[in-house]
This record gives sequence, structure tokens and C-alpha cells, in this order.
Amino acid sequence: MTIDAEVQALSRVPLFQGLEPSKLRLLAFISDRMEFQDGEHLCHQGDDGDSAFVVLSGEVAVFVDENEVARVGQYAIIGEIAILCDVPRTATLRSVGTTHILAISKDDFLKLIAEFPKVSLEIMRVLALRLEKTTRELAQARPAST
Amino acid sequence: MEKSLFQFIWKNSSRYQVAILLVTILSYPVSYILLDLPKTITNEAIQGSNFPVELFGVQLGQIQYLAVLCILFLVLVVVSNCIKLYLNVYKGRLGERMLRQLRFELFQRVLRFRLPHFKKVSSGEIIPMITAEVEDVGGFVGEAFALPAYQGGMLVVQVGFIFMQDPLLGLAAISLYPVQGYIIPKLQQKVVRLSRQRVKNVRVIADKVGESISGISEIHSNDTSAWHSADLSDRLYRNFRIRFDIYNRKYFIKFVNNFMNQLTPFFFYFIGGYLVIKGQLSIGALIAVIAAYKDLAGPWKELLAYYQMTADVSVKYQTVVENFDPPDLYDKQRLLDDESLVLKGPLTLDKLGLSGVGTGQEVHGVSLKVEPGKPLAISGVDGSGRAELLQMAAGLLSPTSGSVSVNQTSFENMSESTLGRQIAYVGGHLHVWTGTIRDNLFYGLRHRPQEKVEYEGSDLRKRQRQLKEAAMTLNPYFDLKARWEDYELADAGSMQELEDKALELCKLAGFSRDLYLLGVETVINPTETEELNGGLMPKLVEARKALREKIQNDVKLQNLVEFWDPEKFNMSANLAQNLFFASPKEHFMTIEHVPNDPQISAFLKETGFDVLLTDIGLQIAKTMVELFADVSADSELLNRYSFISREDLPEFARIVNEQKGEQRRKRLKDVDRARLIALALKLIPAKHRLGVLDDDMRDKVVAARAKFMETVGRDNERFEFFDPDTYLTTLSIEDNLVFGHARLDRRDARQKIQQVLQELVRERDLIGPIRRAAFDYQVGVAGAKLSSHQRRLICLVRALLKNAHIYVLDETANSVSETDKTLREDLRKLMSDKILMFGVSNESVAEEFSTTVHLENGRVIER
Repeated sequence: MTIDAEVQALSRVPLFQGLEPSKLRLLAFISDRMEFQDGEHLCHQGDDGDSAFVVLSGEVAVFVDENEVARVGQYAIIGEIAILCDVPRTATLRSVGTTHILAISKDDFLKLIAEFPKVSLEIMRVLALRLEKTTRELAQARPAST
Repeated sequence: MEKSLFQFIWKNSSRYQVAILLVTILSYPVSYILLDLPKTITNEAIQGSNFPVELFGVQLGQIQYLAVLCILFLVLVVVSNCIKLYLNVYKGRLGERMLRQLRFELFQRVLRFRLPHFKKVSSGEIIPMITAEVEDVGGFVGEAFALPAYQGGMLVVQVGFIFMQDPLLGLAAISLYPVQGYIIPKLQQKVVRLSRQRVKNVRVIADKVGESISGISEIHSNDTSAWHSADLSDRLYRNFRIRFDIYNRKYFIKFVNNFMNQLTPFFFYFIGGYLVIKGQLSIGALIAVIAAYKDLAGPWKELLAYYQMTADVSVKYQTVVENFDPPDLYDKQRLLDDESLVLKGPLTLDKLGLSGVGTGQEVHGVSLKVEPGKPLAISGVDGSGRAELLQMAAGLLSPTSGSVSVNQTSFENMSESTLGRQIAYVGGHLHVWTGTIRDNLFYGLRHRPQEKVEYEGSDLRKRQRQLKEAAMTLNPYFDLKARWEDYELADAGSMQELEDKALELCKLAGFSRDLYLLGVETVINPTETEELNGGLMPKLVEARKALREKIQNDVKLQNLVEFWDPEKFNMSANLAQNLFFASPKEHFMTIEHVPNDPQISAFLKETGFDVLLTDIGLQIAKTMVELFADVSADSELLNRYSFISREDLPEFARIVNEQKGEQRRKRLKDVDRARLIALALKLIPAKHRLGVLDDDMRDKVVAARAKFMETVGRDNERFEFFDPDTYLTTLSIEDNLVFGHARLDRRDARQKIQQVLQELVRERDLIGPIRRAAFDYQVGVAGAKLSSHQRRLICLVRALLKNAHIYVLDETANSVSETDKTLREDLRKLMSDKILMFGVSNESVAEEFSTTVHLENGRVIER
């Protein structure tokens, strides 16, 4: 798989949707492509998060307190909060079968943002939309609970 | 040492100087005839009329006479030039010999300096003295006596000629010499003073540069580069000013001299003209005198240049030599003696005192007696005089009062051959030498060559010449090629046993694990150490196969490594390794160098890879330029990820720009092509994922490997092929065992492999041999590739290995940790019949010892 395929995968990630193709390419180039065997861990709950993972192929199981809570497949991004702020991993990730992952390291991602302010604007926009969505959902949920 | 340059030259080369002088005088008639002959040829042979002439009883016609004179002229030209050549070579050789002798003498004096002297001088100052500053002495030695004699003689002859023509004109000719003789030295004196300043200033510059290098981390951590820049720049400016002053004066001297020289003809024309008009002098004589005066200018100029050079070289010599004559220099014999006393019995420190040093380094009236087998701890904080007391006990530092002795023999009267062999010292400042671990461990056994190397044929002649030169320049005869390790001192019979012993002591010192880790990284030296290690290389190849099998058969491990497989492309390795499938034996052979190598570039051309690689390189360059074009130049992204460096990026951008459009390759310059090829060769497909290598291309690369091997030959001097059945002497042990690349896309692949590797090596009993292989490990400049703990352990083992009678250990293994505690116990056990003085700063550590002396402010405190 070449960088072009990775760019394609990145472009499907909502967080990066607004980015120009050239920046996506740079992001793909500075990220590490990893292969995980069946049962290998991507990260453990409680660790310091230092990178986000984009699933290029295969499937990843998500465990919270040793209970499997979800499975994610191609083009999913996991642990993206870790590349924006310092929070411990909220879940353990384990590869199901052989998976290919693009690991975006926090340091490099932040450097990219520092380099291109437009990228951070795009990210901010996506985050704001999410926040807005969450707020609305919360507002809708509140009357029901009271 | 001789205080003046001429004393030095005369004392050491008077014989040769006389020889030079004689040959010079011999050459004088030849050059005189040579100057005179053309006149004879034109006047007598060409324009003459009294033929035939008689020459040595033979009648000669005009043509014959011309031929004879011309042949004589030719012969004299040859003879005179041969004499000149001989003289020049002779002088040059003499100069170099004297220079060698002088430099060696200076270095030997450095070795004779007492330790405290090194607090006053720095290596930054000493190095230029021994190297650059005395350089001019070499050129001067050959001329020192011959030039003034020769040119002075010429001058006297010419002046004499003028006097013979007319005493008055003779007086006129030399009338200004006294004035010149008075003014010029006056001016020169100032130049000498300036030269002295200049030499000293350059020394300070050298020292400052040296200090900046050794203190570089302090400069960066304190942001003081501006201060250091200003400091150095100031010194450079001072240097400029001094030099400018020197130039001004030097050329002013020339000006005065030239002016005076041309003033004299004024007198000639005036006085001579008057005399001719009055009829007291013939016009012919006046013209002859003026012509003779012109000839005076040559020697006079040479003499002046000589005078200036003498002044310059003398001042350089003096400013160097005065630094090598401290009053308390050790006696030369102390270094040269090879007789070693065997020290036995207790070590006595009698009212030992050290004063006149910095506060916190003084010692006052310490008296101690240390018996063999009764280890003594000297406790005291830094600045209690502990370090100095221990250095005095080790014979390194001379006490200012009192004495250190064994069997009533004071250390002051012992030569280094006794002190350096019977006493072992490991102190606060230790030094690991650039070289291998072996060099460092066995350093304490290398006192003198232990055997005579038998030379034959041309080697014998080379050695004899070397010895002859050594004799002529008062240099030592020791043979560097001989074995220097004295096995007996370490109770060993052979290198093998010595290494066994060293391994044992490394184990005791707790250095074994480090040795293994260093061993794995070592590139084995196949010629020397392979035999000692009982054929390790074939065993490692066996282990390589076992490791491969183990990794391939283990579900958890498989796919961690991409092995070198002659038939397969290795995605985790760069294109250069994939294509050549070999590793270069020459150190200078970097990827940048590869496209310029004639052998390789021929291979690339032949296989068409030059075009393919250029295309790949261009594609990579394009992508890199595109990706990083608008990344700011100081961004870390560029440094970390682009495999084009920040400096080179604009160059590649230019190349990419030029290669747009049609007929592009025609315009590609060779330099740019080499750059693109080098770039392509650096590509690691698994890491860079640029998609510039398709399957077809990869097959081509794999197919070209055989061709490359064919081109350079299987057994060649330059490359070693990745053959699964051979041990590669250019790779480290680890690289040989793994024989492939840890996959870059697997997390912690390298660590996991190293773990498996260690298990395998243990199973196969290879740990020992690998530790032994670590003896070949290159420690870097002054041990820079070792940790400070490792350096200390190496120095400790070095000391233990030499089996001394007295051990003085300071700041070594003196922490409260368990490892150090065990080590101390082992050391005490090991030294059950030796004298051990152990410096500690920690009270609880001191309590382990049966006897403890506590120092405070340089005095023993009773408790």
C-alpha cells in the first residue's frame, strides 16, 4: 500500500475532512504505517496517549475495563482525542486478525498544526460542530430525564 | 634545553653545518666560471680573430673552440644545478631531522612535567607550540650558517673589488652600511616584540577554541555563544592589528633598505663624476664600479632577508622553549629507566604535606602506615585533601614536605618503571584512550615492547632506515609493531590467557553485562582476534540460521524481521543495500559517494540502472519538494521526515524545476544525476511508502544483484556480499545474527528480536565469546561511546589486571548501592596480600573497612 491509499483513508476521517489534499499527503507521510498481528495490542487503557490510529484494513476490538464494547473497521479513527490533548487512554485496543494501521503521532500532528494554521482552523471547525451536536443532544436528553 | 636557536642548531648539527658550508664554498668557483664563460664565448669565440687557439696543448679552430666552450658551459650548468639540488635536499633533510628532534624533545618534556604544572598550561596552548610554532625552525636550520657565509663572502669580494678600483668609491659604496646597520635592527626589534605578541595571541586563540570545544555543552546550556563569539572575535582583531603592525614595519624596513641602496649610486655619480672630470679616475673604472655595486645589491638583500628570518625564527623558538623549562621538571632518567623494583612490605606516609595549591587541596602532616592485607579507607568529603593525599600515596603528586616510601625507599627516588608498575591508581579523573576496549584493558601492561619483530627483505631495510633516523634525532628505538603487552605482569602465558583473566576481572567488576551488550554491537576484527576466540564466526553463522528458524516458527515473532534473501526484495532496507546486496569495506563509502565511484557507476550504466535510478530519484525529489515546499525551513518536520536535508531542498527544487518538459534528460548535469541517484538509493520502501517502486522494478533490482557480484567479483577488496552462509566482517555481531532488518511497521520489533537473540545466544554458549569479541569494540574519542560508569569500570579492570603491589582507589565503587558493596568485598578479598587504600566520601561505606582514617581540611581527625 502506498501513501496514496493512506491519503484516501485519511480523507474519509471526519476530523480531517476539510483538509487540503496536499496537507493530507504530508500528514500521511509523517505518520507511521504499522502492521498488527491477531491479538496484538495497539494500546492499553490508562496509558498516556501519544498517537491516534486510523484503520487502513482489518478490524480492531475496543475494550473498556476488559469488556469488549465495540469493533471498528476500515477508515475508523480511534484515540484521536489523544493527539489534541493529554488524556490517558480510555480503552484498550486489540487487533482482530491482521490489521494495518496508520499511527499519527501527537508531536508530529501538533507540529503540522503549528506549521499550517489553516489546518487547525479546519480541525477547530469540525470540533465545534461536534460540540454543537453534543450540546444539542444533551439539551434534548435533559427534559426527558427530569 | 638550549635557550637560543643558534645554540640548539650548532649543538645538534655542527657536523652537518660544516658539510653544507664546504659544499657551498665548493660551488662558488663553479658558479663564478659559469657567470664568466658567456663573456668568453661572445668575446673570444664568436667575435675573436686569433685562431687557431691553443687549449691544453690542442690547436682549435674557431668553430671547434666555440663547440668546446659551449660544451663546457653545458657541463657546468649540469654540475652547478646538481650541487644546488644536492644542497637543497641535504638542507631540507637536515631541517626535518632537527625539527623531529626538537618536537620529540618538547613532547618528552611534556611527559616530564609534574602534575601541578598541568594546572597552569592547557593542551590548547601546548599543541600549537609543538606542531605549528616550531615548523619554521625546520626551514631555517639548513640556512643558518651557510647563507650568511656564502652571501657575506660574495659581499666582501664585491666590496673588495670596488676598493681595488678606488678606495674613495669603496668608502662611498659602504658609507651607508653603518646607518643601515644602526636603523634596521632598531626597527626589527619592534617587529620581534610584535612577533612575540602574535605567537602568544595565537596560542590564546587556540586555547579558547579548545576550551569552547570541551565546554560546548555549557555554552549551549547557558546561551553564551554570543559571548564566546565576541571573545574570539576580539582576539582575532588583536591578531589582525599585530599582523598589520608587523607588515607595516617589515615593509618599512625593506623601504629603508632599498632607499639607502639606491642612495649610494648618487654618491657614485656625484663623487665619481667629479673625479672623472678632474681626471683622477677613468670613465671605464667608474662604470665597472657602478656595475659592481649593482652586484652588491643581491647579496645585501639576501642578508637582510636572512637577518629578518633569523629574528623571526629565533623569537618563535624562544617563546616555545621557555614554556618547556619549568624548574621542577622530572629527571629524564625517571622516564627512561626500565628497571622495576619489586615493592614489598608496608607503605609509609611520613608527615606528608602539600601546600601552595588551591584551598581544599592542601594536606598537613599526615603520617600513616598501610600494611599489606589490611585495607585502609580514607574518608573525607571533597576538599578535605583526600584526593591529593591518595595521589601522593600513588606517587603521582610530589609532596611539598614529608615523604612516601616503601622499605625506606622514597617515591621521589623511584623511576616511573617502578611507580607505574607497582602502583595502580584509579581516581576521580580517569581517561579512556581512543581505540578498542582491549587497548584500554591491557594499557597497564604496555610498558616496553616485549619481543623483537623479525623483519625480512624490504621490511628489514625500512626498519633499519627508521632506526637510523631515530638515532640521528635522539628518538627512541621502540617498535610500535611489536607486542607490548607484558603477559607475565598479569600472570598470563599468552594473549588467550590474558583475555581469560581480563574477562574474569570484568565479571568481578560487574562489567560482564555491559561487555555482552557492547559485544553485540562490535564489528569483529577477523585477522587478530578470531583465532583467540576459537572460531567464533562459523558459530555465529550457525546461530544466525537457528535464530531465523526460531523467528520463522514462532507465531508471535514471525514477520518481525525481513531477512536478507538473495531472491527477495527487502522492503525494510534501503535501495542501495537491495541493489548491491553488499556492504562496503571502505569507511568513506557513503551513499553520497556511491554514484561517483567508477566501478559502481560503470555497473549502473551497464545495467541501465543509472537511468532507472535517476527517474526514481527525480520522482522522490518531486514528492519531497511538493510535500515540504511550504513547510518553514526551521520546522522539525523537515528535519525528521524529509530525507532531503533542509540545505539540499532548494537544490532539488531547482533540479525538479529544470526537469519539467521535453528533452529533459539531455540537460541533466552529471552532478545533479549523481544527486538523484544517491537520493534514490536512500529510499526505504517500507518507511517512505512513496510508491515509486513497482513489482517489476523490484524484480529488476533483485535480478541485478548477481550482475553486480559478477562485475566486482565475489572475493574482492571493496564489497562483502550478503551471503547467508558467510560471516560479514563489516557488520556488527547483532547485524550478522539477525541478518536482515527489523521491520519498521511492527511495534518494538527490534527490542523483541534482541530479547530472542539473547536467549538464543545463551542457549548456544555464545555469551562468553561475544563478551570476548567486545574487546574489539571501538570506544570512540576518549571513550565517548561508553557511559561514565563503563569508563570507570574499564579503568578499574585495567588497574586490577596489572597486578600491582599498591592499589589506590578513589571515587571508585564507593556508593552505598548493593552492587558497589559486593564489589568492595570482592576487591578486599582479591587484595588479601596487597596494600589497598580506598578513598570514600561516605561515612557508612568507610565503616566496612577495618581501619579508617578520617580527613578534614587536610588533617587527620581522631575519633
